[in-house]
Amino acid sequence: MFAAVKKRYVNIRNKWLYQLRDAEPGEVFLKQRRVFIMPSAAGLAFGGTLVVLFIAAANYSLSLGFVLTFLITSCGVVDMHLTFRNMAHLYLTAGQAHPVFAGEEAQFELHLINRYKYNRYAICLGFYAEDLPNLEQAADIGANATCTVNLHVTSKRRGWLTAPRVRLQTRFPLGLLRSWAYWMPDAKALIYPYPEEYSPPLPMSGSDELDGQGQAGQEDFAGVRAYQAGDSMKHLAWRQIARVDVAEGGALVTKHFEGGTKSELCLDFAQLPRTMDVEMRLSRMARWVLEAEQQGLPYSFKLGGQEFATALGPAHQNACLRALALYEGH
Amino acid sequence: MDLSLNSALLAMRRGTSRPMSRDKADTLLLLVSCGLVIAPHTAHLPIWTSIQCAALLLWRGWLTFRGLRMPPKWLLLSVSVIALGTTYLSFHRFFGREPGVAMVILLLGLKLLEMHAKRDLFVVVLVSFFVMLTNFFYSQSMGTAFVMVLALIATLTTQLSFQYTGAVPPFAMRLRMGAMILGLAVPLSLVLFVLFPRIEGPLWSIPGDGASGRTGLSDHMSPGSITDLAQSDDIAFRVKFIDPIPPQTKLYWRALIFDTYDGHTWTHSDDQHPQIGRPDLSVRGDPVRYQVTQEPTGQRWLFALDLPHSLPALQGNPATFSKDMQTMALRPINDRVRYDFASYPDYTLQANQSRNSLLQWLQLPINSNPKARAFANQLRAQSSDNAALADNLLQYFHGQHFSYTLQPPLLGDDAIDEFLFSTQAGFCEHYAGAFVFLMRAMGVPARVVTGYQGGEVNPVDGYMEVRQSDAHAWAEIWLEQRGWVRYDPTAAVAPERIQRNLVSVIPRTTLGGLITLHSGKESLLSKLRFNWEAVNNAWNQWVLNYSPEKQRGFLQSLGLKNVDWENMIELMVIIGAGVVGIMSLPLMINRQKKDPLQNVYLSLCQVMARAGYPREKYEGPRDYRLRLIADNTKLTPTRKNAIDRFLRLYESLRYADLQVQQSKSGFTQLKSLLSECK
Repeated sequence: MFAAVKKRYVNIRNKWLYQLRDAEPGEVFLKQRRVFIMPSAAGLAFGGTLVVLFIAAANYSLSLGFVLTFLITSCGVVDMHLTFRNMAHLYLTAGQAHPVFAGEEAQFELHLINRYKYNRYAICLGFYAEDLPNLEQAADIGANATCTVNLHVTSKRRGWLTAPRVRLQTRFPLGLLRSWAYWMPDAKALIYPYPEEYSPPLPMSGSDELDGQGQAGQEDFAGVRAYQAGDSMKHLAWRQIARVDVAEGGALVTKHFEGGTKSELCLDFAQLPRTMDVEMRLSRMARWVLEAEQQGLPYSFKLGGQEFATALGPAHQNACLRALALYEGH
Repeated sequence: MDLSLNSALLAMRRGTSRPMSRDKADTLLLLVSCGLVIAPHTAHLPIWTSIQCAALLLWRGWLTFRGLRMPPKWLLLSVSVIALGTTYLSFHRFFGREPGVAMVILLLGLKLLEMHAKRDLFVVVLVSFFVMLTNFFYSQSMGTAFVMVLALIATLTTQLSFQYTGAVPPFAMRLRMGAMILGLAVPLSLVLFVLFPRIEGPLWSIPGDGASGRTGLSDHMSPGSITDLAQSDDIAFRVKFIDPIPPQTKLYWRALIFDTYDGHTWTHSDDQHPQIGRPDLSVRGDPVRYQVTQEPTGQRWLFALDLPHSLPALQGNPATFSKDMQTMALRPINDRVRYDFASYPDYTLQANQSRNSLLQWLQLPINSNPKARAFANQLRAQSSDNAALADNLLQYFHGQHFSYTLQPPLLGDDAIDEFLFSTQAGFCEHYAGAFVFLMRAMGVPARVVTGYQGGEVNPVDGYMEVRQSDAHAWAEIWLEQRGWVRYDPTAAVAPERIQRNLVSVIPRTTLGGLITLHSGKESLLSKLRFNWEAVNNAWNQWVLNYSPEKQRGFLQSLGLKNVDWENMIELMVIIGAGVVGIMSLPLMINRQKKDPLQNVYLSLCQVMARAGYPREKYEGPRDYRLRLIADNTKLTPTRKNAIDRFLRLYESLRYADLQVQQSKSGFTQLKSLLSECK
């Protein structure tokens, strides 16, 4: 009963009072209702000082003492106005977030746009969630300018990581008040599975034992062909490319190798022992994808219903890792 | 060798031209603002305290400038102990206002050496505010106010300089911002100043406050003692009359009686023990009842109109009459007190006195002022009637070229002689002193009375205000049958002083009397002087003397009758909210600023929506354009053409490279296309 009431209270507080919202697409405008302001600890001390000043002025009937007290009080009010102005009417958008592996820091790009004629200083941004350390980054936004802040959060598990709620706060100019606003950026980062650290070697298919280091498919140079998106940078035929200037119609060409057919590398999720934990298997798949890319071995990829034909290069790698990240089977 | 020297020199030069690090600059700014806050105090602080403060600031400045570490705790502690010790040596006490102020200032200096976190900055700033206020104990002039404003701007600039986290604008810009904050604060503080209900101080008194730094009558009278008071506009006491107010010439507020003269100073001898019960006083006529609200004097005497009949009741501080009719409280008056008196202007005091008991009132220093004594003998020969002698003497003061001035010439050993026969210029204490001297020399018992004369009724609240400038000295002589009778020789010299007030006789001079402007009324100088006086007066009236009564009076003059403090708070909140509201109006309006280009695009979308083709949320301008062109039902070909061109132009303006985006002509073209689309 009590818990229910409390939950309801927290809900009302968050939704109505703090205006906590779900991610809003597009540009978010910090209207006056979404910006909060309260005295800081220094502001409370300031208030106490005002009381002391007032009592002293009254006790000794110091007219100038009253003038001073009221002037300082009004400075506090002006500071309230300026602190609020420093935060309110800011435009916020979320930029892109690059995929990372689980355990790494996911970076979220946040853009703060100031469409007003005054500079905004010392706005601190930080993710605001109970389980996150409160690491804030400060930003200054010039008049009619945009400022980009990168906030990062440690990713814990694969899949989509939505950006946590961001709290923006500022105490500028006098530090007597703290103004803050909450914002849920409409951004999510893809988290790839954590690549297993001590994984077994790549599962080369074909029962025959392969000689050497498994570079077989790359050894027989068979000429050059036009560059295709996804070709590894390592295989660009730099000598040929350098001959003709790109501006004069030269094109990127890739070295073409033959002989890869001997050892087909197939990364198949289903081939992994079913006794292994799903996450462990995904983790191993991720390691193998990276391994294969590093060694330059073209590989095919099978995961649940998804199948990618044998290929090599960042695009292929990303597709595979993405599939791993978002895998929902077992 | 040469090379390394060169490079070292280069490095040095680079070192000096390199801008100071932010921390350093901020700290030095803080030191400057603290210096500005403390500087006005050096006028009254003991020299050692001032030196210590300067040393602390310089020490901190040096540490900051050289990038050295803060002093260790033990060093700070010993410095604090030294500071405390010198404060005690200077004042011989720790409690009270003056040592308190000195210690707060030293605390500010010490805190600067113990600053570690941002929090400490606020401590310094808040203590600075307090130090600024304490300066008003000593001066509340316009100059002080000006310095306060400067110090406040410096403090605000420092405070905001510490708040930057990244880019720090140049100093001039920060200074402007500090000044802007203060400037914006002025309207609201004006409202607060005018409307905040004033509390009648003091709320308490700090021990040891009583004796120091208060203007008021002193327990002796020497040439100059009342002249000093005449410069002060402070209120000595306020009187509320229950009965009609007696004429100005009868308003003699009696405080002290002097019987002993040593050739320079009048004092009262120690045998004036308080007397229990009423002295021999017979009164006639109706009493004048009134209530006195006396400002603290740090002395025991009370003020009564000549001559009170019964003792006032002071709570916890009983009052007594001395035998010469001084009213004394048991303990010094260190708080504002209020007491009731009933006085009889028509009285006979101690009409029956033995010759012996009157001997006290005939004392004179031996072998002094021979000319005055000779003059007295000469007068004595003229008449045997003491009253006639006194009248003759008044006539003498009136007839000779005696002048009444606040700047009397200095007098030597035979002060009375010099005053009577060479300088012939003086203030009331000179006249009263000379009169009593001559009367005594003639064998007439006489004494000097000091107190206040006159008073001004405040038309606002009906209180009579008696100021320090109304301080006065007069004489009483003892006559057979009539007892002690008041004679005021000043009235013989400057009757206006008694009929009106001091200012009517002696106009104020500027700059402490250094410049006396006696040129004609029309001259520029005198005009300037009048203006300056007016400004000064306005400052005194509207800023310094803005008391609870004045506040009520001001509101009444605005047409607000019977305003109590609750109404005042309501009024203050309403007007204050209005001021703050006007200030923050731009923040209250949540108008999103849209890109002008986007605005034009959105209006096209609206036009199209009205035509029945709303843009879908997922559609970009290109998809939208293709859909609109493909439509063949409602849109005419010309219109479609316009839409096509509009959206193509918009696309290039929005997404093409910057040069196209910033072209003004493209935007105007887009606008004209919009009207074609309609």
